[in-house]
Amino acid sequence: MSDSPLPQARPATRITCCVHQRLASRAAEALEAFGIPDVLVQSARCVRQQAVPRPWPLPGMATSLNDSPTDIFRITCHRDVAITVMNGLIDAIELSASGRGSIYAQNIDDYGTSLTGLSSTALGSLGSKGKSGLLTDFALITAILSGAGNENAFVRETLELRAGAPIVSLGIGTGIRDRLGLLRITIPPEKEIVHLVVPAHDADGILRLLVETTHMDRPGGGFLYRTPVCFGRIDPMLRIGKPQHAASIEQIIAAVDDLKDGTAWRQRFRAADRQIARHEGMRLQHHYREITFICAEGGADLLVQRAMQAGAGAATVSTVRRLRADARTEIDGAREIGTLIVPTRNADDIASALLTTHVQKPEIDLRLQTLDTQAVFSHQR
Amino acid sequence: MKDATRIHIPLRNAAVMIGRYVRSRLAEQARAVAFIILYLWGFQILVLGDTPTQALRLTAGLAMVVVGLALFLEGILLGLMPLGERVGVQLPRRRGLMVTMAFGLLLGFSSTLAEPAIAALRVIGDSVTAWDAPLLYMVLQRRPDLLVLAIGIGVALAVAVGMFRFSRGLSIKPFIYTAIPALLALSTYCAMDPRLEALLGLAWDAGAITTGAVTVPLVLALGIGVSRAAGRHHEAGSGFGVIMLASAYPVAGVLLLGMLLAPGVSKPVDEASFFSPGNRPAALALMGSEAALRQHAFRHAGAPSRRSCYPDEGAYLKAVTSLATSTNRRHLLASMPLPEWINQYASREERELLHSPLNNAPVALENDAGDPISTIFRSQCIGALRTIVPLTLLLLGVLVLLRDRPRHHDEVILGIGMSLIGMAVLTSGIQIGLVTLGNQVGRPLPRLFRSIDKVEGQILIEPFHPESVYTRHTAEGRCEQFFFLDTPRGGTEAVAFDPAQYDAVNHRYEHVVKRPPLFGPRLTLAGIGLVFLFAFGLGYGATLAEPALAALGRSVETISAGTIRSRGVIHAVAAGVGTGVVVGVIRILYDIPILWLLVPPYLLLLPLTWISEEDFAAIAWDSGGVTTGPVTVPLVLAMGFGIGSAVDVSDGFGLLAMASAYPVLSVLLYGMVIRSRQRRVFRAISQEAAGE
Repeated sequence: MSDSPLPQARPATRITCCVHQRLASRAAEALEAFGIPDVLVQSARCVRQQAVPRPWPLPGMATSLNDSPTDIFRITCHRDVAITVMNGLIDAIELSASGRGSIYAQNIDDYGTSLTGLSSTALGSLGSKGKSGLLTDFALITAILSGAGNENAFVRETLELRAGAPIVSLGIGTGIRDRLGLLRITIPPEKEIVHLVVPAHDADGILRLLVETTHMDRPGGGFLYRTPVCFGRIDPMLRIGKPQHAASIEQIIAAVDDLKDGTAWRQRFRAADRQIARHEGMRLQHHYREITFICAEGGADLLVQRAMQAGAGAATVSTVRRLRADARTEIDGAREIGTLIVPTRNADDIASALLTTHVQKPEIDLRLQTLDTQAVFSHQR
Repeated sequence: MKDATRIHIPLRNAAVMIGRYVRSRLAEQARAVAFIILYLWGFQILVLGDTPTQALRLTAGLAMVVVGLALFLEGILLGLMPLGERVGVQLPRRRGLMVTMAFGLLLGFSSTLAEPAIAALRVIGDSVTAWDAPLLYMVLQRRPDLLVLAIGIGVALAVAVGMFRFSRGLSIKPFIYTAIPALLALSTYCAMDPRLEALLGLAWDAGAITTGAVTVPLVLALGIGVSRAAGRHHEAGSGFGVIMLASAYPVAGVLLLGMLLAPGVSKPVDEASFFSPGNRPAALALMGSEAALRQHAFRHAGAPSRRSCYPDEGAYLKAVTSLATSTNRRHLLASMPLPEWINQYASREERELLHSPLNNAPVALENDAGDPISTIFRSQCIGALRTIVPLTLLLLGVLVLLRDRPRHHDEVILGIGMSLIGMAVLTSGIQIGLVTLGNQVGRPLPRLFRSIDKVEGQILIEPFHPESVYTRHTAEGRCEQFFFLDTPRGGTEAVAFDPAQYDAVNHRYEHVVKRPPLFGPRLTLAGIGLVFLFAFGLGYGATLAEPALAALGRSVETISAGTIRSRGVIHAVAAGVGTGVVVGVIRILYDIPILWLLVPPYLLLLPLTWISEEDFAAIAWDSGGVTTGPVTVPLVLAMGFGIGSAVDVSDGFGLLAMASAYPVLSVLLYGMVIRSRQRRVFRAISQEAAGE
């Protein structure tokens, strides 16, 4: 089935923009104004720490978690216009101010529908500003956690570590669960997907610490991987509450990031790294690829089934909406986005199996993107 | 192909997995119903000072409620909701908007036919008399088919309009601003006509009741599917809002039906003139037949009215004596048990005709053992089949037409099976357990605010020696007769002697054991307060256990990606229902016209909706319709009957309407609190950012 040759992939950039829901309509309008045709939107929440007074009569403040409603916008464009689009978005929704949202770009291989570039008028209106304001040296840690209560511990830990403000979205896990027959109903399929952008130099250290402190090294704990981010603008705000100093530590860090033009100066995990590496079973796996597919709702099942026949282990599927700037009357916005982490040696087989499925059933309307992971952690028996 | 990759789990491990799964689901539901059960028991033991009777039956019933809830909810989540969502996504995509709306019409109408709670309307209206509220009687008892039709058209229109709204991405607010003022205007108009006025309670209750435990999750899932397929930009409330319409349009349907029927129905009159020979043609026109008129006279009227239904005294007396045989009894009393009739309606003469001295009549209703569990279960099984199968077939039929399959067809089949069994077990558990408990607590409730001695039983003293009666003097110089009686507990107490209870011929004395009222001889503030407290807790606790609300809460949490927690929504709704039930009790106690209690909250809701955000407006208005499900309705009605019978109101309508108006208010307020908190955080963030 997977013997058909894999078509040539196009290099492209996937831009992910997480903004507070109050800014979502502005972001959508901006993207419409840029003439970007294919925008995927997913509801999520951004978790921050919040200092709240303890209940009367106890003195002092307690730290609780605050959920802000957040929308994740995903667009894919030519690599050469990515910075222009990102700068345009940063200007449109004033992402340079903290607390409003994050934006980051990942270089991917794109299969499927042709990339529509920006119109020349849109490009002209955006101007080309270089990558001012955008920093390099980031990595995206994605954690897929079963909704059994450990997601709160994970989120709390990322904030304790000052690793970044996690964005949590919901998805459905398929894979092993589907191979259990009807017994699968005993395992809740709901997954929480945590997206966390951290400085690249610290990514492995943070990843290891998160695994350690949230007991992900136990069965059923979840699954973590790290993918490269080529540049981005990350929201530094991790804590809400009265500022106790002239500037918060996050603001100072952001300012130094800007001065140093990167996050390399922040490296802090050498000692921790060595300490944790001593644990058995804490080995991070390399040589894995992330395959992301986007398809019409209802198509994900078939795709996951085909991918698993071609050697994939499991997938996480979320429902998203597709905004269509050009066709207002068409009723077809429900999309599913699925993520598979597969060994690099199987990746081509799986990708071509998925593309073959699309050829057989064009109504699936598949779009496929692949990206090398830098490290993967899951519980190994 | 699938089997090649299938993992085989050893039986032992599978048993462990299933065990854990079953335990977690049961524990969840046990927690959901724990509050209401403990509350009812606590109230019964601590406040009313009664002990729970029929403990075995109660426990069995309550266990069935927990198991039924777990099965039903899991079945809905596995089977019906995925099915509904699938149809919602696929239908507009493949067949377009018109077909989707047509399907909505069909689904709405058939869900009304399937809704078991509609039968509850007839139960509430059972005490309606043809002379007090002829139009209400006509609609409920003579033309229930028209009533179901009116409600069905309302629900069908609502679902179709909802589908249109989702696929066009329209806001719910204009629909609220048009529907609610129109309904209030219509209700005000009806309140001015004495015939139509009686219909108001029924109409608003019908609106509340139509959206039951099956309809809500189904319509919700369908709406979520359609609005996702539409892909309009951001409405977090997407999928919500249909249930609100499905509660509002049937109100209009019932009121309009009343207006249509009103010209052919006479005005309300008193009992004597209704049964007078001059009114006979009009009465017969309303009742349909002589037999129906007689039955109505026996079930609801006094002895003179009964007498007037027969040509001569002999025929009347013959009819009364014929009550002793069961076939005649069914003719005249329908399902009413003879002892109840003797106690509540029969005159002294009639009682004597039936040779039923007081001491043989079992007075207390609560000693009624009820139907055997198997009979109840069988009838509830049929109800569950009627409710779930047609709707499921409709959805499956659409999928077959679309040549589509649900995600996991085995799971969907299992889910449908589970919801079927779950519903049967749940509703019978409610009948056997919760309603019995509710009756045990609800019926004696008037003792809290009325100076009613509780009749605990009778002791027949035979032979009784009149010489054992003594005379005592009070401080005011009054004489009282009394005798000493050994109590079962071993002591001796002085018991007042009532000459009326002494049968000098047979030398026997019938002593009625009574317990004094709880709070003094008059209507007391503390008693009323306790009734309100009870009503609030009952509404609150019953709502926590509502399966449709749990489904709504989960949908809210999923759609908002966890920013709105289902627990918060459920408790907000429960508090609203509690408040609503209290208001409903106030209406019954003080006999306030229903319009007075309906207009203010709805008028308040309109501006609140205006300033609320879209998603919360939709969720809040939907939660109003969700609340009146299989757990709340019977419990609230049991309490309503208890209080209603004590204060002599003509019907118990209005309680459910109140119970669905106030949750809207509470959820809107909850939404405002959440949103203002989020806004405050956002503003704080923006200010910090500005100061950067």
